[in-house]
Amino acid sequence: MATHRTLLLGSLILAFGCPPLLAAETTAQAMPEYMDMLAHAISVQTVQGKDQVPALAGYFADKLEAAGFAKADIETFPVGHTEALVVRYRGKGEGKPFIVHGHMDVVPANAEGWSDHAPFKLVKDGPYYYGRGVADMKDQTVALVETFMRLKREGFVPRRDIILALTGDEETDEFTAEAVADRYRAAEFALDADGWSGEYDANLKPVMFGVVAAEKGYADFLVTATSPGGHSSEPNPDNAIYKLSAAMQKIAAYPFPVKYNGITLASFKAMSAHMRGALAESLHRFAEHPGDAKAAAVISADPAYVGQIRTTCVATELAAGHARNALPEKATANVNCRIFPGVTVAAVQQQLQRAVADPAIKVSVQDPAPVLGPISYPVLPQVMTVVTQTVRQRFPGLEVIPVMIPASSDSRHFRNHGVPTYGVSPAFAKPGDVHAHGYNERILASELPASLDFWHALLPALAGAK
Amino acid sequence: MPFVRLLIAASIMLVAAWIPPAQAETTRQAMPETMAMLRHAIAAQTVEGKGQVPAFAQYLADKLESAGFSRSDIEIIPVEHTAALVVHYRGSDKSLKPILLSGHMDVVAANPKDWQRDPFKLVEGNGYLYGRGVADMKTNVIALVETFMRLKREHFVPKREMILVFSGDEETDMASTRELARRHHDAAFLLNADAGGGTYDAHYQPVVYDIQAAEKTYADFQLTVTSAGGHSSEPDAPKNAIYRLARALENIAAYQFPVQHDAITLASLKATGEHSSGPIAEAMRAFAANPDDAKAAATLSADPAYVGQIRTTCIATMLDGGHALNALPQRADANINCRIFPGTHVASVQAALVKVIDDPSVRITVRQPPPVESPASPLREDVVDAVTATIRERFAGVDVVPGMSAGASDSMYFRNAGVPSYGVDPTFSKPNDAFAHGLNEKLRASEVPAALDFWHSLLTRLTK
Repeated sequence: MATHRTLLLGSLILAFGCPPLLAAETTAQAMPEYMDMLAHAISVQTVQGKDQVPALAGYFADKLEAAGFAKADIETFPVGHTEALVVRYRGKGEGKPFIVHGHMDVVPANAEGWSDHAPFKLVKDGPYYYGRGVADMKDQTVALVETFMRLKREGFVPRRDIILALTGDEETDEFTAEAVADRYRAAEFALDADGWSGEYDANLKPVMFGVVAAEKGYADFLVTATSPGGHSSEPNPDNAIYKLSAAMQKIAAYPFPVKYNGITLASFKAMSAHMRGALAESLHRFAEHPGDAKAAAVISADPAYVGQIRTTCVATELAAGHARNALPEKATANVNCRIFPGVTVAAVQQQLQRAVADPAIKVSVQDPAPVLGPISYPVLPQVMTVVTQTVRQRFPGLEVIPVMIPASSDSRHFRNHGVPTYGVSPAFAKPGDVHAHGYNERILASELPASLDFWHALLPALAGAK
Repeated sequence: MPFVRLLIAASIMLVAAWIPPAQAETTRQAMPETMAMLRHAIAAQTVEGKGQVPAFAQYLADKLESAGFSRSDIEIIPVEHTAALVVHYRGSDKSLKPILLSGHMDVVAANPKDWQRDPFKLVEGNGYLYGRGVADMKTNVIALVETFMRLKREHFVPKREMILVFSGDEETDMASTRELARRHHDAAFLLNADAGGGTYDAHYQPVVYDIQAAEKTYADFQLTVTSAGGHSSEPDAPKNAIYRLARALENIAAYQFPVQHDAITLASLKATGEHSSGPIAEAMRAFAANPDDAKAAATLSADPAYVGQIRTTCIATMLDGGHALNALPQRADANINCRIFPGTHVASVQAALVKVIDDPSVRITVRQPPPVESPASPLREDVVDAVTATIRERFAGVDVVPGMSAGASDSMYFRNAGVPSYGVDPTFSKPNDAFAHGLNEKLRASEVPAALDFWHSLLTRLTK
């Protein structure tokens, strides 16, 4: 009877035009479609100035529509020459929606520095895939689109709406994130897939998974030196290039004060338990004795960790002169700073001015005006629990802890609109191995199916299955 | 008899092609036309990349044609995005090789935001003219064109042909200069209005006049530093391309090339030193008397206007690095502009820079076009005498001495092609006063009529 009734119920649903209960797709089945979309996404040069983001957004929109999303649930937020793509996965309206966001744009790539591969082509070489954006972050952007398509084809209906927001200028102005965050401030929380969550050790053993609950402030400063110029055959030692060079040396050597907070100390403690060597010892000691100078020195010497205990500033761009045979009238450098939570932009500007130690050299804040986001801490228990469970499906027993990242992302715009935001990226990497923003950006091939697994498990668990 | 025959010949000529007897124009009469042309010239933004040189050349060609030059004697030679202008002032004695008169129509770029005044507008004030090109060297370009027009209207017929050879990219690639030197190297000699010239003291009293007879070799070197790049949130200061380039530049800033001298530079320093006073003048005299005088060399080296007379000089002029605000730089470049003492090879300067930088990760390359080494020009007595007499019409008794120019002028290609070349810029200026290539370029207003006087007098003297 029971069997009979079930059958009957099934027939009724079919008769009322409800979607058939479809078989779940395996990740292996989803991979070819995912890799096709990723290869296409890498080939679209979504760098600032090329205005290719709308084309990529249109490509994703078509794919999502083909998978069953209504046109009305796919929206774009144009800002200037770029845009955000927002897709609403409609649920049953039980509870506040949550957001999962990433970005479609990438940092520019000069082809000449890429060893064997063109930057805008997805290439497999050894255990890695290479290409601009393969790690930051088209891997996750496409994984989220694929997961939405897969869940839709499976007939999954969440209890509450899931908002997928893909921004178009995270690497530059972050205007599209601001537009989306402003619209969806009623969300319960947001997940940022542009994370730096999972860390491998040198032998590809997982060390930990960080749920990003705080990020450093981001600010660009323009350092400007000027000189009278003139003909280069009369080489005046008052030369803007030399003055700027001296300033660069001083900024390179300037020690910003050591800082810490509850998140960083807890994450050092957890990380150090899984690591060996001088760095691990120093992280442990720093967690036990916050601010310990000897430990701080060791941590500061490692580019991957220095940002955890200090504001960091580094020169990223240079420009000077107007002709080869003319003395420069102006020399400028961009100094990119990652500001420790609680430190103001004005304080960093003063520190840079002090470091340069030359009142004739101007240090000014570059546009757009920096946005320093608050900390999303403590992490919502439901998020922490579900993320931990999902991570442990792949790596049983792995420590999952709230962390602060030295970078900054679109997250701060959501946090500033009152939406607690957590960075959770399923791709694991060895420190310094992905070369995000640099030459030969890469990702371990193993992380691609793992990302599909992760999102496919995480999103339904957070949204509540039908 | 010869006298009668000459008169008859003259009558025949008048009948054959009647030319109204023209009066000599005074410089004063020529000034309004000159200033109008100069105003137009400064407004023409003949900087690299704007493609404005051909239009400016056409403007000058039209003016010359209206003054009586036949169209067939005026040639505009397009060279890539710029052009050269060639104007023949035909001479009566075809057996004499022509005199070339050289200048350039282009100017160095100027960013209006950085100037106190609009760089592309001729402004007068405080006894000066301001504007990009007013000193380097549109005033002389216009003065030469005006002088050609004036002589033509006066029906002056030189014995020896004169040819204006104006280049259109002297400040950058010199491709038009190479083309001019390729076509016009069968000449008696060349006078370059963009080299040599007079020096004023602080009170605008003439100190000395310099005929440029040699020039230093011009070479640009590119410094390149690369690094792996990466995300700017993971800064690695020791590997940062910008920081490594900055250290290399600081080393170059602190380095001085060895002291050198030759007959031309010693004569020039001696004369300049004798006609001025103060520590620099003293150092010039001391150095001229004893080139091993280290104290004198140090004093001269401290003055940007004179350091090039006793050393090879190299200085950073441009920077470029990075590709995004939030990415560590993968590359940082600098341009090092060198003025190399005659007799010193480009390769040895490169080797010295390598040693000074002392960092094998900094790559040093010679930039295109390849540097051109040109021999010093033998001093022709007729040229020196004519220039001396002409200068002394303005400033009686002023010393006229040969000199070595620290700048790379169009002359190097002509010297390289075997044409003795002399820089005879008629204008005088105080050292460091002109800001050629820099902000607020200026020229004493008095130098414009003086340039008209000079060219009119010098050209008739040399070709009568």
